[in-house]
Amino acid sequence: MAKTGFLPKEKIKDFLDALSKDAQVHVPVKEGDIVAFKPYSADAEICLTRPANTSPKAVIYPQCDKLLSFEYTKDPEDNKKTSITLSDKRDYPNAVIFGCRPCDAKGFTIFDKVFVTADYVDPYYREHREKTTIISLACETPFAGCFCVAVDGGPADKVGSDVLMTDVEKGYYLESLTEKGDKVLSLPMIQEGASYQAAAQKIQTEAAAKVKNPLPKGATEKVNPTLFDTDEFWQQVAAKCISCGACTYLCPTCYCFNITDEAARDKGERIRTWDACMFQHFTLETSGHNPRPVKSRRLRQRVGHKFAYYPEKYDGVIACCGCGRCIRHCPVSVDISEIVGYLKDPGQDPKTWIERNTKAAKDGSL
Amino acid sequence: MTENCTCNGDNNPYLPEIATVTRIIEETPNIKSFQVVFNDPERMKNFTFEPGQVGQLSLFGVGEATFVINSPPTRMEYLQFSVMKAGEVTSALHTIYEGDQIGVRAPLGNYFPYEDMKGKNILFVGGGIGMAPLRTLILYMLDNRADYKDITIIYGARTPPDLCYKDDLKEWEERSDVNLILTVDNEFPGWDKRVGFVPTVLKEVAPKWFETIAITCGPPIMIKFVLEGLAGLNFPDENIITTLEARMKCGIGICGRCNMGHKYICKDGPVFTLAQLNELPEI
Amino acid sequence: MSTEKLKETIQKVFPDVETVICWQEGFDKLHTTPLFMTASAQEAKVVWNPLCVQNLTSYLPSMKKKVAVVVKGCDSRTIVQFMEEGLIDRNNVVIIGIPCRGVVSVKKVLRAVDFQPIEDVKCVDDTVIVKTASGEKTLKVSDVWPDKCATCQYPTPVIYDYLIGDAIESDKPAESVYEDVREFETKTLEERKAYFEREFGKCIRCYACRNACPMCVCQDSCIAETRDPHWITQKLSAQEKMMFHMIHSIHLAGRCVECGECERVCPMDIPVAKIKKKINAEMKYLYDYTTGANPDDKPPMYTFNVDEAKIKEHKL
Repeated sequence: MAKTGFLPKEKIKDFLDALSKDAQVHVPVKEGDIVAFKPYSADAEICLTRPANTSPKAVIYPQCDKLLSFEYTKDPEDNKKTSITLSDKRDYPNAVIFGCRPCDAKGFTIFDKVFVTADYVDPYYREHREKTTIISLACETPFAGCFCVAVDGGPADKVGSDVLMTDVEKGYYLESLTEKGDKVLSLPMIQEGASYQAAAQKIQTEAAAKVKNPLPKGATEKVNPTLFDTDEFWQQVAAKCISCGACTYLCPTCYCFNITDEAARDKGERIRTWDACMFQHFTLETSGHNPRPVKSRRLRQRVGHKFAYYPEKYDGVIACCGCGRCIRHCPVSVDISEIVGYLKDPGQDPKTWIERNTKAAKDGSL
Repeated sequence: MTENCTCNGDNNPYLPEIATVTRIIEETPNIKSFQVVFNDPERMKNFTFEPGQVGQLSLFGVGEATFVINSPPTRMEYLQFSVMKAGEVTSALHTIYEGDQIGVRAPLGNYFPYEDMKGKNILFVGGGIGMAPLRTLILYMLDNRADYKDITIIYGARTPPDLCYKDDLKEWEERSDVNLILTVDNEFPGWDKRVGFVPTVLKEVAPKWFETIAITCGPPIMIKFVLEGLAGLNFPDENIITTLEARMKCGIGICGRCNMGHKYICKDGPVFTLAQLNELPEI
Repeated sequence: MSTEKLKETIQKVFPDVETVICWQEGFDKLHTTPLFMTASAQEAKVVWNPLCVQNLTSYLPSMKKKVAVVVKGCDSRTIVQFMEEGLIDRNNVVIIGIPCRGVVSVKKVLRAVDFQPIEDVKCVDDTVIVKTASGEKTLKVSDVWPDKCATCQYPTPVIYDYLIGDAIESDKPAESVYEDVREFETKTLEERKAYFEREFGKCIRCYACRNACPMCVCQDSCIAETRDPHWITQKLSAQEKMMFHMIHSIHLAGRCVECGECERVCPMDIPVAKIKKKINAEMKYLYDYTTGANPDDKPPMYTFNVDEAKIKEHKL
């Protein structure tokens, strides 16, 4: 039987203080109108009533991470000779993510399959991941754009979390899902939880019923391959996209990155930074050729990666957790669940799509 | 100074190994070949790779770029990479000297299925710098000549000075067990061999498809017409091999840039048969 | 009634253009989203109400065929600025102007209902009625509009081929436009530095502000991402972020039409328009120039006078 516990609401600060003794704790903090994950401090205004604007992925997968540092040294005896010293030394702290949602936690399981493989292990990701404990908060109600139930998720989904908290009024019912979770539940302020299990179960079941599935009835498991390869379809759905990176950077499952050298004179660093397949220059080659020159192709790549390519490679797992951030924060409200709805509509006929949209802009700008 | 390069598994796949440039050959006005040797002699001794695999060369402070290892594994005194001057990293590489240090992450990617090609005729069709990956396989096959039947090489460039590996070309011309057909795009003073674009020459030479594997590499426009030409000559798609390129960063199939569907050109490629490419979505 | 007239005009214009860019309902009741009409039956989806916040003109420079676009007053200034800079061919754009008494800021509406999930939104005259789990709340549009609407000088489009409804005059004093800039300038340098470090430190360099900006037409080869010249690294210090925002604002000197899109789209709620407004205030003072007002104007950064009336260069 999995370990359970109960954390009274008045003990939250003590709990976070205790966790902070040997880890950097990241909590959702209200700053003006937004909620963003920040390192916990005593005066932080923690906000658990709505999902954070940003996902907590920066804790395990920083937006800027040093891969290695390099230094050129001239030989004092022969100034034509230079040697290079490389170092990939890293010293990541332990970390705890507190108060993220189950969709956020699920995002890390998507990364795991990519960054830790039989062929290659990304040591930076693995070390961050192993040193981080994830304490998720089950959702009681969906927010605008949420569609976790349509992508094999749910408001109380346990995948990816070490501990799942459910708000049972006086405090939080805690369920440990891993060894790391067990450690958390053994902290002194955690009380016995069995008596709250039924209440938590009820809340979780009611929440799942509230989340609407935006996909059509009988949605196909795989995307319609003909529609997926229809240029006119992508031109239509991508017409309003402005090719920024907001969706990608807020997404808990997006992980595309760039590697650049930033140096000053003879010393510098090779850093990894977030990048977005939505940016125009993402696939731009030195020759000037760009295999994805128009935004319709780039949107096709983003949707295709999440709903077709990744599932094909990893046994049907969809690389989207349905958190809805991309929909909520897109400057023009591109709705990925709507696009996937078209692609998985069992009644969809690509020929009819083209006929119904006969004036699809063919001037090459889309 | 640095740990061993990890591309074979355990350590850090992003950490390059330091190598010294032992020789620089000016192949053409804008292409140089760099012969490099790992600073760690143990590593150089134990290094293995397959023809077609690539390496990422680092100029620290500038960046990294991908180049095929175009010396064969049968000649391991050095690793050779040919670099065409085009952008930031390649232009910077063109300014270094023999004796300078660079970073190498190798071997990466997949390789030519040379085992399956044994006992067959081989047709190489290359243009310009596209000869670089072909050279690896040509030399490998010449070093294992008995395993392969007829070897034909059609190679063209814009002008005679733009032909790479001029020493190799001379050697191959003189060999009786290799049929080398060179061409340049237009007439050129002092050039007494063929004139014409590579796809045109391919049509003229009209190699037979039966039990022949065709391998082509060159500028995208040339590949497009060569593939059409090979189809016209009835080459089946599984017997046509090409190497692709794209903007690359990680080189290990993670960063999301060079994928066609779920296959990454850096990891599942760059070598693909036409049959495989037909199955994959466009990039 | 405006919506009906708008739909009629769109139907009239549609056969002659490749597409009509207008608004339709978005993913929930609080949002609209651009509609690129490609079939006349889609006219049924067209909406016009205070939720129509997007500036639809930002698509124009990249569209090569003839299109029609629906614009509010602030949006129309963008078209005029495009004309001043030669970024569009006027003959390729059919402008459907619609007088506007203000739109809502989604962020302010959500703030007014404590960020609870929205169940329904109805627009009635100059109010929006928002329904959440705790009931209905009536908000005046003027209580939740973005800052640009509070000082709007152009409620009626300044350029159009069709006008839906009667022209409206502005009831807001011209001096109010840069009041917030002048107020900010009363802060000490230390206070300003702390403010910018705090606000721009939140930036995640998603470039939503840059891409949403209609005047930012060089976004495909932006200094923020290029390595030649390598002025900005990919590191995430407050300085790097500020450098990008400064350069972006300076590139918009004498060009920013104050459409407010940059601030609207920022997912981190950063007041990115502040620097641009400051520069605009200076442009107004130095050159008496207002962006997007008159197609025959020359943007001051495109030309020069040997002696500028308000710049004392030679200290003579």
